[in-house]
Amino acid sequence: MRAVELRAREKVVAGLALAALLAVGTLPRAAHAQWWENVRSTVPLNAKGEPDLTAPAPRTKDGRPDLSGIWNPHSNKYLRNIAADMKPEDVPFQPWAKQVADERGNGSHSREDPDANCLPQGVPRLGAAPAPWKFVQTADLIVVVHEAFSLWRQIFLDGRKLAANANPSWLGYSTGHWEGNTLVVDTRGFNGKTWLDQVGKPTTEKLHVTERYTRKDFGHMDLEITIDDPGAYTRPWTVKQDLTLLTDTELLEFICNENNRDLEHLPGKPLGE
Amino acid sequence: MKNKNLRRAAAYVFALMLVVVDAAMMQAHSHHSFAAQYDAAKPITLTGKVTKVEWTNPHVYVYVDVRDEKTGEVANWALEIGGGPNSLIRQGWSRDSLKADDVINVEGSLARDGSRLASAQSIVLAATGKRVFAAPIPVETPNASR
Repeated sequence: MRAVELRAREKVVAGLALAALLAVGTLPRAAHAQWWENVRSTVPLNAKGEPDLTAPAPRTKDGRPDLSGIWNPHSNKYLRNIAADMKPEDVPFQPWAKQVADERGNGSHSREDPDANCLPQGVPRLGAAPAPWKFVQTADLIVVVHEAFSLWRQIFLDGRKLAANANPSWLGYSTGHWEGNTLVVDTRGFNGKTWLDQVGKPTTEKLHVTERYTRKDFGHMDLEITIDDPGAYTRPWTVKQDLTLLTDTELLEFICNENNRDLEHLPGKPLGE
Repeated sequence: MKNKNLRRAAAYVFALMLVVVDAAMMQAHSHHSFAAQYDAAKPITLTGKVTKVEWTNPHVYVYVDVRDEKTGEVANWALEIGGGPNSLIRQGWSRDSLKADDVINVEGSLARDGSRLASAQSIVLAATGKRVFAAPIPVETPNASR
């Protein structure tokens, strides 16, 4: 008898809870509510109920570091100048590449920057754009969805190798493997048209980019990038960047050619002339 | 105790300012060099009525009719907002935040090519004194570092 009463009471409580949930679901949303609001978050919270970006980095079911999430560079610094933390003389330019970088450095060729023309920023510059990007991770494939120009990259972890005759491309062909807690991404097969940064460091089709991603904790990722382009630089060189997890937003569509009015006001020749 | 609370409040305000400054830094979008297009050494102040808002990628543009006080002539100016719609949406702005016929006071940097174009560092609604699309655009110095 007592057990039956309890069950009845539980039913009433459950019914009230369900009614409350339905009522919340039908409340009018704020006028400017975004579609990422009211989504159930998996972000760990601290004692104050705020996202705890210093919580431990998550792992996948098979024990790998889980890099999933929306990431953003901390500032525009490396977009502007990938070697911002280096002494200018430490960038190992070949003489022709130094000359090109010097000519572009004062902005007088900005109209020729692919980025200004709404063409892909290339790798690794795409990841340094301030528009956020998302790692979608599976065991054999990581997809990087970039808000910037609504572009995407695929990083294959299934052991495939780049074909020797791969058609030159803006974002290259990426393969990855794990070294401990670090995802190592090799990208080759570029078209040599991209600038490494806004001040105009050139690339060639010989470019090979190695990215090393290490998620330090829930909200922070180290990124080490090695530029190996024997067509433009005398030796490989390495830079470090840091990324922050965004917990309160979602990727949005970004179609650059919608209204690219800037181009006609930028100094330099139209692209291709 | 009060002092402790005050210090904590000051720390919060400072943290908030950092967030705002950071948002401003991020607003200048990836897409082109502002230093190449605008001259930070040529500030300009404009007042006029909004004729059109282009809430579009890669950058939002606002057009405003500005009357020359001396000649009485009206000229239409274009104002580039550093962010695109996405970064403005993330700061809480929408396509309705500024409308045609709103009168605005603008502080900006003049375009280098001499056209009636400026990057808007500050837009204030004349009717309310409220700032719209608040984050300023950092204009980098060309050749600052390489």
